Amino acid sequence: MGAKDKVWEVFRQEAEGDPMIHGGSVRAPDEELATHYAREFYGRRQESERLWIVPRDTIIELDDPDLLKPPFDRSFKRPGGFLIKHKLEAARIRAGATGAEPIEELGE
Amino acid sequence: MAVVSPGGDPAPGMRYPVAVNETERAEAFYAHVAGGGKVEPDDWMPDDYRAAVLKFVEMHANSELMGVLPEREWILRAPTLRRKLALTSKVQDEVGHAQLLYRVAEDLGKSREQMLTDLLAGKTKFHNVFHYPTRSWADVGIIAWLVDAAAIVSQQALRDSSYAPYARTMKKICWEESVHIMHGRDVVLTMMNGTDAQRALVQDALDRWWGPLMQMHGPPTKPETDRDLIWKIKAKGNEQLRQEFLSIYVPRIRELGLVIPDPALEYDEAAGRWNYTEPDWDELRSVVTGHGPMSQERLEFRRTHRAQTQWVRDAIIGPVGAAA
Amino acid sequence: MTVQDAASQTALAELLLAMADDEFVLGFWDSEWTGIAPILEEDVAMSSVSQDEIGHAKALYELLASLSGEDADEIAFGRAPAAYRHAALMNHPRIDWAFSIARRYLYETADAVRLESLAGSSYEPLANLVRKMRREETYHLLHFDLWLRRLTEGGPESRDRLIGALRDLWTDAQAVFAPLDGEEALVAGGIMPDRLETLRKRWLDRVVTRFAELGLPPMPAAPAPAPDGRRLHGIDFAWLHGEFTMVAASEAGASW
Repeated sequence: MGAKDKVWEVFRQEAEGDPMIHGGSVRAPDEELATHYAREFYGRRQESERLWIVPRDTIIELDDPDLLKPPFDRSFKRPGGFLIKHKLEAARIRAGATGAEPIEELGE
Repeated sequence: MAVVSPGGDPAPGMRYPVAVNETERAEAFYAHVAGGGKVEPDDWMPDDYRAAVLKFVEMHANSELMGVLPEREWILRAPTLRRKLALTSKVQDEVGHAQLLYRVAEDLGKSREQMLTDLLAGKTKFHNVFHYPTRSWADVGIIAWLVDAAAIVSQQALRDSSYAPYARTMKKICWEESVHIMHGRDVVLTMMNGTDAQRALVQDALDRWWGPLMQMHGPPTKPETDRDLIWKIKAKGNEQLRQEFLSIYVPRIRELGLVIPDPALEYDEAAGRWNYTEPDWDELRSVVTGHGPMSQERLEFRRTHRAQTQWVRDAIIGPVGAAA
Repeated sequence: MTVQDAASQTALAELLLAMADDEFVLGFWDSEWTGIAPILEEDVAMSSVSQDEIGHAKALYELLASLSGEDADEIAFGRAPAAYRHAALMNHPRIDWAFSIARRYLYETADAVRLESLAGSSYEPLANLVRKMRREETYHLLHFDLWLRRLTEGGPESRDRLIGALRDLWTDAQAVFAPLDGEEALVAGGIMPDRLETLRKRWLDRVVTRFAELGLPPMPAAPAPAPDGRRLHGIDFAWLHGEFTMVAASEAGASW
């Protein structure tokens, strides 16, 4: 790689309101050229609403499984960790449900 | 990118149990990829795997870069404004694909400059089809349609590669290539619906390109010894890709009234596969080692232009040292 | 607003042809960089710019075709070399990167002045088209000003090559503002809000100022362009013409 050359990561937004998603990387010696090249590779087909251009060396990566996937049960932290279907059915039967539409619960 | 490991783990980034020694570590790695696991650039990987991916991606990148040259000549000669735009855009996309693939390969540890130097010195290879001449506008149509189609059959199978950056790049490339095939088919169709002379040009182009197309996916390999398959760098074997290509495209070629120049080409219902005249594997070997009709001329063309523009790179990105 | 009189109609056709041919011919020369530009990323950028030019040429030929009853491809591909009306600046092949960047810088800045003025044209279809083109040209101006700076600041070799190229192109660049037959009628009718010579002076002012800002040496004097600045084309264009008419000419009347 040239003495002044750097790698820049490009993130793109597909449509208004969407999250920024990683697209790929370009090589350029400075911000200005990096921006032009990001536009070429991730925007020349009018496929992006927005781009973020970030020098790779400023990105911090965390992939330690001890921090991200530790072994003890943490299902109480996610909606999918609560299975209430059977309990709810039993409660409705006991209370004599009248046939009204059930309210949808997140994670049901 | 700085990889953080606050736990002080001796093997950060491994998504499988920490191993005691290199051999066990490699075994765990190979079990991971064989089971459909993915690998990122900063992950630990055995040297063999890294070398295999690099070689695979480097050849692919080289092919995109050299693939520009046969079509490039026709950019100036495109006969309408629309065709000029479509062809320029297509060739631009090939250059773009070269960039994407060289970036993937570079992140595995070999610089773009070194890869270009090795390509131009004949040390690394590029796919056979890009070693042949183009003779007419009909070639432009046949290449954009059928060569790209054969390439897409391979590329779709790479979208699930164990090496994740390559898989992601292949998804982008496949999306971008779909336009090229449509452009190619449109060029061919327009000529086939045109004059007798135009139809003759297309048939002539097909006659010349059929051989290289049949060789393009390579000779069949044994799954037990094909490391690229075992390590899931690629998902399908060469013969499977060729059969897929034939199944989709032979009917589409024949329905235009074109004659495929292989009298033995036919679908064997009982065996569930296409039979065809054995491709000339000697020709393939000879061509990819730089003895194709246009191999040296195209490499020389690239060497000349690279030398002529060295001053620009030195000024803009700075010198890279003797290896460049 | 429709074009009322025959003189204005003829003059408008001359203007549209000049603009279209400028974009068409330059788009062709620079499309040759596709695949062999100095840097992979820049290869893609330069190709985009060339495609934009061909796209603009197409739109201008189509506007002209709506006036003349011909077909845009016929106008683009169907004339003898002497009937093209691009400026002398576009007679040269791409030569090398410094030459191409210098020409791009000179052309984009000149075209910007031209388009700024025509955005106020009394001929609505042209004004509308020009407004669209100006939006795309934003990127071109940014990109080539960037390259002008990078080559100026990139060391003695790049600076010298750039200055040499600018000097070589300087006289031919004036021809972007070469006189057009019927200019008087266009100005009188407001189709051209400004005379060409006014535009040329405005362009010179901007470019000379920019060169001074960057510490580039002054350019030679810039006399008004010769009347044949859009009519004499030479052997390089004759070669290019041969290339781009080759396939179309091979089978007269065929569709491609």
